[in-house]
Amino acid sequence: MPATTKTNFQLVSNGILNDNPIFRLALSMCPAVGISTTVMNGIMLGIAVLFVQVFSSCTIALIKDYIHPRIRIPTYTLTIATWVTVIDLVLAAYMPAAYKEMGIFVKLIVAFAIITMRLEVFACKNSVPSSFWDGIGMGLGFMAGMVVIGFVRELLGMGTILGHDVLGFRPLLFFVLPAAGFFCVGIMMAMFNYMELVYNRKKRAKER
Amino acid sequence: MKEIIRITIGLTVTCLVAALLMGSVFIVTDKAKKHNEHVNVQRAMLGLLGYTKGHPAPSDLRLYTIYRYIIEDGAIRTLGYMLPVVRGEQGGYQLVVIDLDGQFVNRFKLNITPEKVSEASERASALKVVLKPPKIFVYSDSTIVAKLGKKRLAYLLPGKFPGFKTFIDVMLAIDPSFKIIGLEIMEQEEDPGLGAEINQDYFKNQFKGKSFEKIKKINVTKEPLPEEYKKYLETKKGKEFPLPKGVVDTIRSKYQDKDIYALTGATISSQAVTNGVKNMIRKFAYRINRLDSVISRQHIPVAF
Repeated sequence: MPATTKTNFQLVSNGILNDNPIFRLALSMCPAVGISTTVMNGIMLGIAVLFVQVFSSCTIALIKDYIHPRIRIPTYTLTIATWVTVIDLVLAAYMPAAYKEMGIFVKLIVAFAIITMRLEVFACKNSVPSSFWDGIGMGLGFMAGMVVIGFVRELLGMGTILGHDVLGFRPLLFFVLPAAGFFCVGIMMAMFNYMELVYNRKKRAKER
Repeated sequence: MKEIIRITIGLTVTCLVAALLMGSVFIVTDKAKKHNEHVNVQRAMLGLLGYTKGHPAPSDLRLYTIYRYIIEDGAIRTLGYMLPVVRGEQGGYQLVVIDLDGQFVNRFKLNITPEKVSEASERASALKVVLKPPKIFVYSDSTIVAKLGKKRLAYLLPGKFPGFKTFIDVMLAIDPSFKIIGLEIMEQEEDPGLGAEINQDYFKNQFKGKSFEKIKKINVTKEPLPEEYKKYLETKKGKEFPLPKGVVDTIRSKYQDKDIYALTGATISSQAVTNGVKNMIRKFAYRINRLDSVISRQHIPVAF
């Protein structure tokens, strides 16, 4: 892939819609299924991923010319691990309130496929500003996906939204359990694909 | 060959740079992190005793820490308790050595001030003076005794036990008759949404008020948590009090001797916490009774 020609806005919206990490790229499914039981969890993990993605993308874009191609994957992993550790330590030291909420999520991130994949596909071929915006887009896309799944699962599983009781009863407890995450992701992925299908069909009809 | 060397050097340099970065961040943030943890523990301890910002602790509340060490002298194993004692204005620490049968062995005066005693390295150097090699000592755990005026208010037990994924760090408050006053989860890495719910009031507060007799044989039940009980468990945090006074008392007495209701989808985490708490209290009750009898027989002027 040559260096991108997209504008910054296109890069961000690309991450949220066209290349949404969860629904389109189907990456980082483990956390998407395991943790998206509530909206709050989705937001927290989304923020954590956003920061790590942006920092790692910028770092790799900055040092891309010095990385030997044979060891690029270890380098990516090290970069992510370093940033995760740094963010974890800084949060623990200077933002104890935020750390109490986000601590466990930040530590989970090292093994996320989406971050490594973005470094491999995008950051190592593009400039720092483009990588920054791509990182933002991917982080927001991941967060959006997590929040949407979390919304459905929290509402159906516990009858609450953001901890506030809205339904007054628990419709399907099954939705809190990990297996239900697969159903949610699957159904939403199907919806996304269907929307794309309809969109393309309309576009083709217009062109004709 | 040239390629391999370049790869090796490249990887080494990358690792070194990463290590350097992480190391320097650790050094910069370590102090603030420790301070935060300390503040956190203090707040948790006072919170467990029922003191909050709006309801601060009285000025004659004192917290004394007992440190327990395991001392090995060849094949003989003894227990060393570092006890705060009354000595002049400042107060000091004594090491009381007890054998495994609860019999008094020896006691030493320690040269350490109460300000420095919370540092593990300071304690070790003070103990080295009295416990000369070949004796080896290993830190085991600590207990905090809360004293209000002249009487013991509560024991605060920091503890750690394996959960579903990693260790769960807790702080437990029990009164002198070993009844649970409160449970606080300090650190855990259970699954968010499932095991991490042990942090919720409706789980933690179930332990509140369980008597020593009940705790000795407490179990986890998989029955769903009754709605009225859940409401009761969660009332403490809100400002409003949705349950009338009389109802609160009936619910409390109704569920007082019930087992712990497991969290949905996290039976193992619930079980781990319940068993951990059970073991902590049982061991502590056994130890403190022995320690207290030694203290009274030897007339040690303990501060607590």
